[in-house]
Amino acid sequence: MASVHKIIVIVGFISLFHSAFSAAQHRSYLRITSQEFTSLPLDIIIQAVVSLFAVMWGVLNVSGKLREIPAAAELNTVKWETQRNLPSFYIFNHRGRALAYNFVPTPSKGELENLE
Amino acid sequence: MSSKTKDVKPEPVAYSEAALRNNAVVVEYCRTSMAALSGSTAGILGLTGLNGFAFYVLAVVSLWVMFMIKAGPNWHKYYVSRQSLLTNGFFGALFTYILFWTFIYGMVHVY
Repeated sequence: MASVHKIIVIVGFISLFHSAFSAAQHRSYLRITSQEFTSLPLDIIIQAVVSLFAVMWGVLNVSGKLREIPAAAELNTVKWETQRNLPSFYIFNHRGRALAYNFVPTPSKGELENLE
Repeated sequence: MSSKTKDVKPEPVAYSEAALRNNAVVVEYCRTSMAALSGSTAGILGLTGLNGFAFYVLAVVSLWVMFMIKAGPNWHKYYVSRQSLLTNGFFGALFTYILFWTFIYGMVHVY
């Protein structure tokens, strides 16, 4: 979606530049034929104004997403799994170790390779 | 009696600071771009005098309308007030506008 708006911005810029060049050429044409400048041709005016609005609309959408300002808006989306995940309370020991003290854990892969 | 009714205030609304700042950055970005672009367009069109300032007001209002379209019907979730969105930084962006207006006018119509 954002890429569509980027394309709008680029095309609008090119169109704006094109209308600028058209206006400059119209001025030079008037100067050569020694006419008085009253106003630009209507098509150049329309092109400039339409491309201005197109670029404005594109920039508005490219500039980024608006976030919701009420303070609770983002807290409401936090899941319970995220809230109760407290790293300070992690336990890495298992009580099964106390119940079966003569249990020999399965040898790891490295130890098995050393046996052979 | 009247003092008692005065004490009844609307419930305060808590806003998220980070979200407010993020939205202000987005609005400022759009406003600056709008000033530069509409200044360039005014220069291309060859507006002079009060016509140019009228065009600036038109551009500011249309940017505001675009903000309202983007936010949709529940704009309360994104902006604190609509009026300040319209008027904030009006004169600050006006200087950017005049800069681009005179520059592009000179480029297109004078030289």
